[in-house]
Amino acid sequence: MVRRLSGSRYFRQRLVLATLKATTITIEDIRSGDAAPGLRPHEVSLLRLLDKISDQHRVEVNETGTKLRYKPGQILGGTGLEHDCGVHRGIGYFLEPLILLGLFAKRPISIRLKGITNDTKDPSVDTFRMATLHMLKRFGVPLEGLELKIDSRGSPPLGGGEVFLRVPIINSALTAVNWVDEGMVKRIRGVSFSTRVSAQFENRIIYAARGIFNRFIPDVHIFTDHRSGSAGGRSPGYGVSLVAETTTGCLLSVDATVSYPHVDEMNEESENPGVMSPEDLGVQVASMLLEEVDQGGVVDSTHQGLLFMLCALCPPDVSKVRVGQLTTYGIETLRNIRDFLDVKFFIEPNPNSNTVTLKCVGAGLHNRNRKHS
Amino acid sequence: LARTLSRRSASLMQRVYGQPPTKLDMAPEQNNGSEANSSDEEFFVPKGQRKQTMNELPTFDDIDAEDCSKFFKEKLRDWSNEDLIHSIRDRFVTGNWSK
Repeated sequence: MVRRLSGSRYFRQRLVLATLKATTITIEDIRSGDAAPGLRPHEVSLLRLLDKISDQHRVEVNETGTKLRYKPGQILGGTGLEHDCGVHRGIGYFLEPLILLGLFAKRPISIRLKGITNDTKDPSVDTFRMATLHMLKRFGVPLEGLELKIDSRGSPPLGGGEVFLRVPIINSALTAVNWVDEGMVKRIRGVSFSTRVSAQFENRIIYAARGIFNRFIPDVHIFTDHRSGSAGGRSPGYGVSLVAETTTGCLLSVDATVSYPHVDEMNEESENPGVMSPEDLGVQVASMLLEEVDQGGVVDSTHQGLLFMLCALCPPDVSKVRVGQLTTYGIETLRNIRDFLDVKFFIEPNPNSNTVTLKCVGAGLHNRNRKHS
Repeated sequence: LARTLSRRSASLMQRVYGQPPTKLDMAPEQNNGSEANSSDEEFFVPKGQRKQTMNELPTFDDIDAEDCSKFFKEKLRDWSNEDLIHSIRDRFVTGNWSK
């Protein structure tokens, strides 16, 4: 019953799938060829988070951290939890697995997460608030009890942000979707933020982004969220998250953040690489959003993985979804789903629109943890 | 036309599920093999070697690939270009959908 895996990749998905399917896994050769072998701080932090929400599980790591054995237990959930996500990865890194596990927990989760709210590697907390949480609604997740509140923001490298997340539990199972009509973009919304820099930066980002959107659609509204003092974390930075909303209620999101490199890093580099100006950032993010619109899927490229996961976790009904070009992460998600849940998608390209339709029969996962109560 | 369609779908299925899993199974074995074969002189391999390959694009073969769901497009197109603007015009409600 023990599933043997190797390497540190897709660490989160492996843990989530192993937990939901109650499969013991061992992961070997975690960065064994690297100068710094073993688990990274953010991965250890994720294991600690897992520890906080579950019971009767067992995690064993060898001395160098290159080998991990994980025996999943029950997902308890609970209120009043707190977790420091550290500063190696953004809070977005932790939100994705946490939301999936939270749905199948015994009790709803409410947790306070500290760390970096916006960074370049992970979806920003704004993206989660504006797009990801609404995606869950399609799969029958009750909207009440689903909440993400940004109490303070933190940019890399020092973070200092804090968010409050509530995830409801599903009563028995998710509901399968037939979600193929991407519709037409009817409005663009967004939030720009700045921490420990002039509030004027946000207006400059918005002005530049709007310059691009003016050729397409007038209904563009980007809010500003300037944080100073303790609500602005410990590092200067600025960024913007955008969402294009379509006539069929699909949400396509992108986000980008600019932060100033650590002093040490600047010494390492022969010259100061310089940071992107707010104007360039605005143009870049607007272009990224238009690229996503061009893709023509019901979700953006970043959310493909989560979409496939949710489809696979549905009851044994047929789910049908349409996405743009498959991403590397999306493809790997499909493989992990096949390995753990034994769910294989039927994948069909649509040559005229360059989109891909995927169909699958859900694995029929129920909320086992709730039944016991 | 139907036949080409089904062929394309088969090839995409194969791209996702077909070849690569065998490659994945192979990858650790190859590692072990090279370690077993290495003689004493090659026993101490500088660990920094990985760093050099880090700059390459993420591939399916890298078992320690970074866990990022966020999607990056390497090259963004210039969306002030008229042709490009025209190409997605109809994806917006303001477009011309009488066609």
